Amino acid sequence: MRIVVLGVLVALMTACGSEKKTDEQAFLEGLDSAKTGGPSISEGVIGDVLQRIPAPLEISVLLKESGKKYNGSYLNSPDNTSKYNSNYKKALNLGVYGTDLGYTNIYEQNNDGVKYMGSIKSLADGLNIGQFFDIETIGRLATNSKNLDSLLLITTQNFNSINHYLQTQDRSNLSVLFLTGGWLEALHILCEVAAANPTNKELQETIGEQKIILENIMLLLSFYKDTDPNMAALLTDVEELKKAFDKVKVSYTYKESTFEIVDGVMVIKDNSSSTIEITPEDVNTIKSITSGIRNKVIS
Amino acid sequence: MKKLFLTVLSVIIFSAMEVVGQCNADALSNQCIPKLAAGFNFLKSYKIEKGGKDYVEYSYVFTKGTQYMINICAATQPTDGIVVSLYDSNRNKVASSKVNGQFISAIAYPCNTTGIYYIQYTFDGSTGYCGGSALGFKR
Repeated sequence: MRIVVLGVLVALMTACGSEKKTDEQAFLEGLDSAKTGGPSISEGVIGDVLQRIPAPLEISVLLKESGKKYNGSYLNSPDNTSKYNSNYKKALNLGVYGTDLGYTNIYEQNNDGVKYMGSIKSLADGLNIGQFFDIETIGRLATNSKNLDSLLLITTQNFNSINHYLQTQDRSNLSVLFLTGGWLEALHILCEVAAANPTNKELQETIGEQKIILENIMLLLSFYKDTDPNMAALLTDVEELKKAFDKVKVSYTYKESTFEIVDGVMVIKDNSSSTIEITPEDVNTIKSITSGIRNKVIS
Repeated sequence: MKKLFLTVLSVIIFSAMEVVGQCNADALSNQCIPKLAAGFNFLKSYKIEKGGKDYVEYSYVFTKGTQYMINICAATQPTDGIVVSLYDSNRNKVASSKVNGQFISAIAYPCNTTGIYYIQYTFDGSTGYCGGSALGFKR
């Protein structure tokens, strides 16, 4: 009887200790500076900020819906993966390629999309998160334009799973880099399209609105500035971009919203309004600094 | 010794019962994704589980000119008393899915102002305190 009780207690204690990392995990995490030390704030707070960063896909949809043509030359070359040897570069460029894949998907450029899938899979494998990127299903869906909705859904779910997994593994630093790379690439594409359409006010305003996202990206990077030299350097670069965005004026007037029920859905009428003041010169400066940071990231 | 064994056994049984009765918010949030209205692209799924606070809150940067949809799924009834409220960056209430005592399972929000929005789930007469939600967008 004593043995049975002891056995049960040992089993319970073992189950409680299952969160211990394996030696292999610990080794992999120690490979580069992207895991040199913990952030200066709790993982929970970082997770809260991370999940509010909007998907770059929203910008690709905006460009497509506003009638802008596809231009593959805006994107990072899918052949660049061999340049990215550190976890820092891999995570940043995973984000860059994620945005590029979303852009090719939205424009149904399947041939280009397949190349980006390969690059993403390669970087994700290098970060030991390849299991979350279902390249087989995505590749199959990409061969038929009728599958666009499913393709976008599964791609978004895969990237959400990657982010969630990284956070649960105390690797939020990689999530921060992944989202920063993705946002930077989306801003770069947006700036390129705006430069090609210099009279388009909507595009200029959309660039100005990125100020809000930039502030959140900076907040995330700041959590690691004392523990990760790469992220500290990236923050310094992004601070230059912030100076350009400081000239953009965003004003907001709140007015209570109203609603109606349509087919069981509450449809809100937003009566608040906002204005973005941004000049063509501001756009040029933002484009130039963004391009400089991106070149460092993808080189 | 028999007492100790029975105590350990009851702990195991009660733990197992708790696992069986646990909230499967992941499954519920996945169920919500295909329920987004046609034309909406999926962005995020959210778990709604009552924890230490009376509410569950997430945030997301909404963009001017984009329409967002947030829906709610629960194990029993359409929303099982779960209410979603949307607040702007200054914490002004923009919408609440409970109106005139009626629980609405989805809200659509055409955004006029880019900024951080807070998506807050509360429980009003809920039995399971467990649900899922999905966020989608369209231009």
